[in-house]
Amino acid sequence: MTTTISRRNFGGLAALAATGIPALAACGSGSGAGSKTIKFWDMPWGPPSYNVVAKKIADSYAPTAGLPSVGYQVIQWSTFGQAFASAVASGTNPAVSTGGGFQAFQFAQQNAIAYADNLIDAMKHDGIYDDFLPGTLDGMKTDNGYVAIPWQLDAHVWWYNKSLLAQAGATVPTNWDELLAAGKALKKIGVYGFSTGAGSGNSLAYETPMSMMVGNGGGLFDAGGSLDVLNARNIEAISFIKQLVGEGIIDPASVSYTNVNQTAQWTSKRYGLGNEQVALADNVGTTVAKDLAVMKPLAGPHGDKAALVVENNIMMYKHTPSQKGSEAFLLDWIKNMHTFWDKGLVGGLPVLKSIARSAAIQTRPNYVTMINEYQPIGISYAASGKTVGTAQAKIDGNSAMYQFGQAILSKSTTAKSTLTSLSNALTALLK
Amino acid sequence: MVGISASSNQAPNVASQETSKVPARRVKTHAKATRRTLTLLVLPSVAALLLINAYPLIYATVQSLHSGTLINAGKFVGLSNYSTVVRDPAFWHAVRFTVAFTLATVLGSWVIGLGLALALRTDLPGRGIFKVLLLLPWVVPVVISATSWNSLLATPQSTLPRLLGAVGLGHPLFLADPTLAKIAVGAFEVWLNFPFMMLMISAALESIDKTIYEAATVDGATGWQEFIHITLPLIARSTYISWLLMTIFVVNDFTTIFLLTGGGPVNSTTTVGVLAYRAAFENFQVGQGVAIAFLMSLSLIVISTILYRRIRKVPIG
Repeated sequence: MTTTISRRNFGGLAALAATGIPALAACGSGSGAGSKTIKFWDMPWGPPSYNVVAKKIADSYAPTAGLPSVGYQVIQWSTFGQAFASAVASGTNPAVSTGGGFQAFQFAQQNAIAYADNLIDAMKHDGIYDDFLPGTLDGMKTDNGYVAIPWQLDAHVWWYNKSLLAQAGATVPTNWDELLAAGKALKKIGVYGFSTGAGSGNSLAYETPMSMMVGNGGGLFDAGGSLDVLNARNIEAISFIKQLVGEGIIDPASVSYTNVNQTAQWTSKRYGLGNEQVALADNVGTTVAKDLAVMKPLAGPHGDKAALVVENNIMMYKHTPSQKGSEAFLLDWIKNMHTFWDKGLVGGLPVLKSIARSAAIQTRPNYVTMINEYQPIGISYAASGKTVGTAQAKIDGNSAMYQFGQAILSKSTTAKSTLTSLSNALTALLK
Repeated sequence: MVGISASSNQAPNVASQETSKVPARRVKTHAKATRRTLTLLVLPSVAALLLINAYPLIYATVQSLHSGTLINAGKFVGLSNYSTVVRDPAFWHAVRFTVAFTLATVLGSWVIGLGLALALRTDLPGRGIFKVLLLLPWVVPVVISATSWNSLLATPQSTLPRLLGAVGLGHPLFLADPTLAKIAVGAFEVWLNFPFMMLMISAALESIDKTIYEAATVDGATGWQEFIHITLPLIARSTYISWLLMTIFVVNDFTTIFLLTGGGPVNSTTTVGVLAYRAAFENFQVGQGVAIAFLMSLSLIVISTILYRRIRKVPIG
């Protein structure tokens, strides 16, 4: 079983580093810009062999004359917030890195990010620009330029257990009404028809409801990028989830489920259907994984179809021994990252058409469905606002979001009161 | 032994006799020099302590007076963070739960610790092994303990709900029901801390002179009377110290609750420590997080002072 990593919110642990920023900053410029090598920091995006392969790719990079070579370093998720924040503050940051999904937007606000516009131009000349799946590069575009280059997608897709649905005599749903009917059928055989979890550190607590809201044409932000929590589509989506709670289609214990608990419910065949992340089958493992299939996106009551997608990305920093060197290495990295999918080392969806068309993906029907059916209708946290920014970075992992996820699963609240609480909390947060 | 005792008794007298012979001004100068030497000797430690403790404390104080986020220092806002915190109903909810949680777990751990310490005092076969086994909850890393408790309680298929189901008590959702979640985190905290209480009380029991019990038995005292009138008064000092220490442990304990329930469901198990973490590390409101932490520390100082005064009044032994 490959336990794959989707992404992590950047905010959480960075706070610890914040206390040390002034002291570190006082130490003066670190070795980043003075160093003759490009420091590349990468995360454990998969099993340990991921980082072994990643290091080989970095080591095999042969810079052209005058450009620096690359030093590869693994940064653990448990301390990555501190590592990056303190490094940026002290000027010892990497020149290039992967990291949290919204990390680049946070550091761009701090004026620490080197925008990737020149690299984008180089990719256009090189032809690789056209290899990116439609819309993927746009997710990194801000008013000031491209903050990073996407490299894999963390999408929320509809999964079901084929044998459990067959056992319940239910058909694979295509819309919310059919989802409700399938849930009722599954309930009769003691299986829950809408997977979720809102326990400690489980970001699906709020991502699943967000996925339902954007899937219904709603979302937390309007077209102008302003907060718009209490729109009719959101109320409708949350009301639907609360209906599932009331009908007993959602596991009443799920309010306390961690990611591990939630996955274990799939493994023990207690969950038969749900909106989950790309790597669900990999994480469930065992023989149950063979029964798990991705269905086509569900249509909402108004016929809308959309999927919540977060783009994991690679960013460049201003503090570098050579900006040209950073760009040259990143371009080389992008050209070689197909290896991760070839060897089955990452669980996210690829952003390059060439990888999506490769045998590594085409032999996995669930991935084909995800790329063909979900990627084209992918919508970010920004929802109708299209462009992700610091507002989305702030809400990701915020306690108001976790409480929102828990409140939905409580029978004592209404959809409107739950969304009103969220709206008030986010308004205060973003003011 | 006698010689050592005699010489040590004589030494001050000799010194005092010699001192009385030297002029007062010379004594004063000598004392001044001694003070200077002592000050110089202490100075590095004081400087180290200041660097280690004072700088973070001052920096945190500054943060609590600013509207900073994780990556920006923010503007000076005076006491606004403190007023925001004390006007927030969530803060008082967390305070109430923290107080109840602390009282229940300190008392629970003490009762269990006392019972086990008394039991291990008897001639139980293999009590040494029991003693080691009973220390396990305290020595196992809390991350591992929390994971184990989670797998015991979290889902309806977990061990404990299944066992209760088997005896006709339904399948209680220990971590999903707000009331049961409070009980679950309390039980977990007691399970983690009773070994500490047991150790403290065992040490205190060891120091009680057995002849006191023998005399009481001769006088016809029952076991209960011995416990009430001999054991409890003679371990009172240790008891107060252990209460004080565990109160500090529990109020400051963030990991136990965060790992097991994350403060949920719907804030039902949110302590002041968890609230401070959320403010600083999830909501990026570092100033408010530090303000909550300061208020928590202030309360702990008050409680500690009260308990410490009580401890000082209790006679040793």
